[in-house]
Amino acid sequence: MYESNSGFERRTAAEPRPTGRWVLLAVGLLAAALAAGQAPDAQKILAATDAIRNPDHSFGLTTTLIEYHNGRQTDTNTLQIYAKAERGSGQYRNLIRFAAPARDANKLMLKNGNDLWFYDPSSQASVRISPRQRLLGQAANGDVVTINLAKDYQAKLVGEEDVEDGDRVLRHCYHLALSAAAPDVTYDHIEMWIDRDTDQPVKSKFYAESGQLLKTAYYRRYQRELEVERPTETVIIDGLDRQWVTIMRYSDYAWRDVPDSWLQRDYLPRFKPE
Amino acid sequence: MRARRLRRPRVREVMLLLMLCGVHAHGAGGTEPPEVPVPDDDDAAALALPSVEATAAPAAPGASVLVEGAFTESAPRSGGSADAERLSLDINDDSRLAPQWRAVVGDRLDLDWAGAWNTSQQVNTLKQAYLSWQPRSNIVWDLGRINARQGVAFGYNPTDFFRADALRTVDSLDPNSLRDERLGTVMVRGEALWDGGAVTALVAPRLAAKPSNAAFSPDLGATNSEGRWLVSLTQRLTPNFSPQWLVFGTDAGMPQLGLDMTALLGSSTVAYWEASAGRSPSLLTQARESLVSLESLVSLGPPASESLYSRVATGFTYSAANKLSVTLEYEYDGAALGRGGWNALRNGSLPFYGAYRNEVNAQQELPTQQSAFVYLSWQDLIVRHLDATAFVRVDLIDHSRLPWTELRYHWSHVDAALRWQDYSGGPTTEFGAAPTRQTWQLVGDYYL
Repeated sequence: MYESNSGFERRTAAEPRPTGRWVLLAVGLLAAALAAGQAPDAQKILAATDAIRNPDHSFGLTTTLIEYHNGRQTDTNTLQIYAKAERGSGQYRNLIRFAAPARDANKLMLKNGNDLWFYDPSSQASVRISPRQRLLGQAANGDVVTINLAKDYQAKLVGEEDVEDGDRVLRHCYHLALSAAAPDVTYDHIEMWIDRDTDQPVKSKFYAESGQLLKTAYYRRYQRELEVERPTETVIIDGLDRQWVTIMRYSDYAWRDVPDSWLQRDYLPRFKPE
Repeated sequence: MRARRLRRPRVREVMLLLMLCGVHAHGAGGTEPPEVPVPDDDDAAALALPSVEATAAPAAPGASVLVEGAFTESAPRSGGSADAERLSLDINDDSRLAPQWRAVVGDRLDLDWAGAWNTSQQVNTLKQAYLSWQPRSNIVWDLGRINARQGVAFGYNPTDFFRADALRTVDSLDPNSLRDERLGTVMVRGEALWDGGAVTALVAPRLAAKPSNAAFSPDLGATNSEGRWLVSLTQRLTPNFSPQWLVFGTDAGMPQLGLDMTALLGSSTVAYWEASAGRSPSLLTQARESLVSLESLVSLGPPASESLYSRVATGFTYSAANKLSVTLEYEYDGAALGRGGWNALRNGSLPFYGAYRNEVNAQQELPTQQSAFVYLSWQDLIVRHLDATAFVRVDLIDHSRLPWTELRYHWSHVDAALRWQDYSGGPTTEFGAAPTRQTWQLVGDYYL
C-alpha cells in the first residue's frame, strides 16, 4: 500500500492524478457541451453569407431581369453592374449600365453610398436622386446582389428552421433578424434564412421602417462563379403587390477593377463599358 | 362554332378529372409524403414562373437610332385651328476606334409640314461630333463639337453656360427634350479625375460670325460666334456632398462664377442649388444691341452698362412610394427685367419687345426676374408602362402660366405619347404672348 501510495505520489508528480484527470475530463466535456449549446455568432454567419453573394474583390456581372405581373411576362431589362468594394467601409460602390431595352440603352446609375446619380446620355444630364427614387426603378433590384449586409446591419439569431428554398428543396437554416446599424440604409430591417451547413443565403425579407414588407427574395441555381458557389438567380416578390415578381439571372461574372476616379458624377458622360 | 365552344370546356373538365383521379390514385397507393413547410401560395406561384437562361449583356450598341413622328393640332389666338406634322430621325453613336480613342457623333434631322404636305421644312442639328483620347484612366482629352452640359437644376440652368443660341428647332418644351436637341460647341476639352473629384478646362474658339438658317448647316455661327472658355472643379467634401465650382469667360465679357450643389434630405428628398454671378450687360442691353434702330428705346431710359448680375435656380425633388416624384423650383435671373421694366417694355415699342423676347429665347434665359417651375413625373400611372409627366411654368412677375402634360405608354421598342400644353396670361405677358393658345400633340417613337 505504501509503495502503492508511494507510487501514486510519484505519479502525481509526473502526471495528473486519476481523480484530477476525471475532473479535467468533466470540465472539458462541460465546456464542449456549453460550446455546443452556445448560440453561434449571428454577425459571423451574416458575414459568411455576404461572402457567398459578393466576391471579395471588385467585379462585374450582367443581370437579366424578367418581370412578371399576374403570371404574365411584362418586361425585360438587362443591366451591367460594376461593383467595387470601398476601402474602409467595405461597402460596395456600384456603377449600373442599362443595356436593354433600346429606349434605356446606355443610361447609367451611380451608387456611392447615398450619393446616387442617374445619367441620361441623350440629354447629357446627370440628376441626383434619393434612395427612395432609386427604389422605384428596376435598378433597385440590381443591387440586391451587391449589398454587404454585415457592414450596415446588426444580426440576431432568431432560431433554426427548415425552409423550402427557391428550388423547392428543404433546407435547414439559421433564421437571422437584421436591424439597421448604419444611418440611411435602404431597408430598415431584414429577415434572412441561411443554410446552416453551407452559409448559402436561401431567403430574405426586406422591410421598411413602418414594418411594410418591401420585397421577398429567394436565392437559387447555385453555380461556381469566381471561385465560390454563388446563387445565379434570385426571385424577388414585391411586398406591396405580390403578383409583381422579378426573376433576376446573373451571368458574365468577371473580376473587373473600375478605377476609383470613375465612380463620380463627372465621369458618367465618359463611361463606356468594356 | 357553337359546338366547338361547348366542347372545349368539356375537354378541360375531362383533363381536370383525370388529373384529380391520378392524384387520388397516387395518394392512395403511395406513402404519405412528409409534412414540409412550404412557401405561401404567392411565393410558390412566383417560384414556379418560367426561369430564364443566362444572356450576355448586349455590347454597348455602337449607335442608337430614334424615329419619331408627331401630329400637332393647335388653337391659334386668332381663332380656328392649325395642324402640323413632323418626322424626326435622331442618331447617336459612340464608337471605340482604338483602346484609347473614341468617336462620338449625334445628329437629328427634323422634317416639318405645316398644313400642306407639299411644303416641308428641313432642319438638321449636328449635336455632337468629337474625338476623345484617354491616355490614362484619369486623363481625357476631347476635340470637336461637344455638348458641354452643366447644372443640377431642372427648369433653368444658370451655370449651363453653353446653352445660349444652341437650339435650331424646338420639338417639345420639356426641359429634357431641349437639352437633347441642342447643338454642341466646337471646343478642345481636357479633364483630370481623382477619387472624389475632377477638374475640367475647355476652350471654344470663334469660328463664324453669324448663325445660319440653311437646313444642313453645322451652324457654327450659333455656337462659336465668339471665343469662350470654362474651368470647373468638383470635389467631394463629405461622403454625400460634392459641390462644383465653375469659372466661365468670353473674349469680350467679364468672367462669370458658378456653383452647383446638391444635398440629400432624408431618404426621399434631394435639394439643389445652382447659381452664377458676374458682371455683364443686362438682357435688355443685349437686345438693344441686336436692333438696328434705337429710337424706340427712349421711353425705357438710358442704356445700362455692365453691372453685377446673379442668377439662381434652387429647389427640391420629393419622391413618394407610389412612384410619384415632384420637383419645386424657384428661378431668379438678375439680368432680366423686373416688374417696372417689364411693364414698360410690354407697353412700349412692339419691335423692341419682339427683339427682347427673341434674345431671351435664344439664350434660354428668363424674360422676367422671377419664375417658378413645378415638375411631376409618375411612373406606371394606373397601369404598368403608362408614365405621366407634367410641368407648369409660372412667371412670378406677370403671373402668366404654361402648363404642359404628357401621357406616355411604352412597349419594348415603341412609345406612344399624347401631349397637351396651354399658354395662359394677358397679352404680351411671358406666356400670353404666344401666337397659339393651346396645343395637342400625338407622338410615336420607334427605338431601333
